Amino acid sequence: MSKNDNNILPKVRRFSKYRIAEHWVHVVMFVMLIVTGLSQTYYYLELSQWFVLKLGGIDRVRMVHRATGVGFSVLLIVHIFAAVTGLLTRKWGPDMLISIKDFKDAAHNIRFYFGLETRPARCGRYTYKQKFEYWAIFLGVIFMASSGYLLMYPIRATAYLPGEVIPMAKALHSNEAIVMILIISIWHIYNAVFSPEVFPIDRSIFTGYISRRRMIREHPMELEKEDAVGENNEEGMISEKVIRGV
Amino acid sequence: MPPKGHPLSWFTNRGSGGGDIMLRSAYVLILTIGLIVILGHGAYAVKAPDGNESSICLQCHSKEGVFMEFMNKETISVFIDPSGFKMSVHGFMECAECHRNYSIDDHPKKEYRSKGQYRLRSSHICRRCHDDEKICEKPIHSALLDQEKDGSSPICSDCHSAHSVMPVTGGKIFMSEKKYCFSCHAYDIRMTYRSGETSSIKVSHETLRSSVHGMLGCSDCHFGFSSEDHPRRNFKSRRDYLIASSDSCRRCHFDKYSKTLESIHHSVLQQGDMTAPSCTDCHGSHGIQRMHDDRVSIPRRCADCHGEIYEVYAKSVHGDALINENNKDVPVCIDCHKAHDIVNPLTMEWHEMIPQICSECHADRSVVEKYGLSVNVVKSYLSDFHGVTLNFYKKQREELDKPARPIAVCTDCHGTHNIMSTRDVGIVKSNLITQCQKCHANITENFPDAWLSHYEPSLASAPLVFVVNGFFKIFIPILVIGLVLQILLHIWRYSSNR
Repeated sequence: MSKNDNNILPKVRRFSKYRIAEHWVHVVMFVMLIVTGLSQTYYYLELSQWFVLKLGGIDRVRMVHRATGVGFSVLLIVHIFAAVTGLLTRKWGPDMLISIKDFKDAAHNIRFYFGLETRPARCGRYTYKQKFEYWAIFLGVIFMASSGYLLMYPIRATAYLPGEVIPMAKALHSNEAIVMILIISIWHIYNAVFSPEVFPIDRSIFTGYISRRRMIREHPMELEKEDAVGENNEEGMISEKVIRGV
Repeated sequence: MPPKGHPLSWFTNRGSGGGDIMLRSAYVLILTIGLIVILGHGAYAVKAPDGNESSICLQCHSKEGVFMEFMNKETISVFIDPSGFKMSVHGFMECAECHRNYSIDDHPKKEYRSKGQYRLRSSHICRRCHDDEKICEKPIHSALLDQEKDGSSPICSDCHSAHSVMPVTGGKIFMSEKKYCFSCHAYDIRMTYRSGETSSIKVSHETLRSSVHGMLGCSDCHFGFSSEDHPRRNFKSRRDYLIASSDSCRRCHFDKYSKTLESIHHSVLQQGDMTAPSCTDCHGSHGIQRMHDDRVSIPRRCADCHGEIYEVYAKSVHGDALINENNKDVPVCIDCHKAHDIVNPLTMEWHEMIPQICSECHADRSVVEKYGLSVNVVKSYLSDFHGVTLNFYKKQREELDKPARPIAVCTDCHGTHNIMSTRDVGIVKSNLITQCQKCHANITENFPDAWLSHYEPSLASAPLVFVVNGFFKIFIPILVIGLVLQILLHIWRYSSNR
């Protein structure tokens, strides 16, 4: 369906190469953290023990988990730095910030699901679903990183903090991990893979392009904005212009 | 007149003639001589009715209660059991054949200094017939004769009774093997080793009978020995002998024996340390008792060698309850270390086994609950950082041959033999920081609090952990329900819009 659409309607550039690469690195690191982390949380499962032994022991699993965790937190810092820089240099707008409109959109869509509205909410560059997911993951990563560092350096941590923060950090780390895994595996995978709107898969994060048809349906306000700017733009791609140089 | 045909009628008939007086005189002469012979014989028969002098002796010596006194005022009964003597191998002999100076006419009074001297002299009587060469054919005798050269003369009647001597082969019929052995081994005879060391071969019959092996015969353990055979053993020292004796136990207790082969005691022995314990060192030899019945005695046996550890154990919460309260629940040495397959407790394998050892009791509700102890202590350890790491290290060592580092186990915080009650939390806490420091340098006093002391996090014990766990316990289901509902609504709308 979408293949044909792409052929008929012109594509719109949605993600820069930086974002595509960032997504890929996140995917790889996230999977590594899940696998090495879950095998520690559920240490008593046969599968975990098989995996730990296959990887060469618990010390190596912990080392991989920590190194990946450090990598992930570096990515977080780079991400925040890029976002702030982009905002300050007005390369992009605060599209990801949650506003009143997002809550209204959510309520609107729920009414729409029950047939109380004739059409879904009109969204901008990011829909309220994407924003909520982004911020859930963003906060999650902050929680994970901070509790992770506490667990990684318990002696240094307890020099300043009460001892109880270590088991608390462990509780937070493992619980928050479950929350993130649930959000990614239920919400993100549904919206990006199984949702009837994108099935079999939303390829925009891999190709960087999205069909105009999907833009009309999912991000009409963004498309209008882009088209308005796009009159002076040969390619009609605002994002490319905005992100260039990052 | 005698009737015709009667033997005397010949004299009577002839007596009617002239030569009658001659015949009559001869008849009277023969009759008289015959009478003398008969009467003479009769007089002798009164003196010895069944024809030997022994009976004369026994007329007095078969009466009990007659004693002979020695110069040192010791006494000995002169009683001889006539039937025992008759049945004996010497039953055909006359008393005087052994007791040479005595006869019917002569009963000399002899003076002996003591019973010992008398018995020794008596042994010389035996050896008049049983010469050294002959008696040396039995190994036990040659050992005794060797002793004689050293000045301690064997006394025959110590083993072979004096008047009821039986052939050894026949003896079995009349006396049990045990009785036979005890005819020597009831006495404090000493056995000499090559090193010059000696030890008593005395065995207390009472001790043996009350032991668990009371129903066994001597040769059941001392194989090779019997009432017919007494092989000469040649051990370097008493210790060598004791260690070799343990082989006797193996024949019946093979399961225990094979376990000991894996023990540290056996490997120490293999390395040449003869002080390593063998079966008899712990169990004893002839007085073996069932050990389960008296748990208090078990640590005492170990204390024979491991005295310092016993002292520490006796003061611990376990040892104190055992010794002062005879508490059956507390562990004794062998409950943790095992009895026969005692392994080196300094190995990593042992270290990794410790939580499992403690869990034998501390995870058993029926044991610890009556003392108000939690059964979750082992579980809470095993699910925490140290427990998880320990189990992984164990697996890695077994499956990947990876050397493991020692990880804190129960004993690292609670102690081993000196385990104290944890009811006094202050002491445990203050000890904890020094225990942590063994592996974690530069820690502050906050650090031990990172361990929640086996407690399930509660609002009182660990509020932060409790709140975090509580929050997610509520939040995660709400999140999942919310997300799934959203998805279902989305699909529903989408399908009904088509």
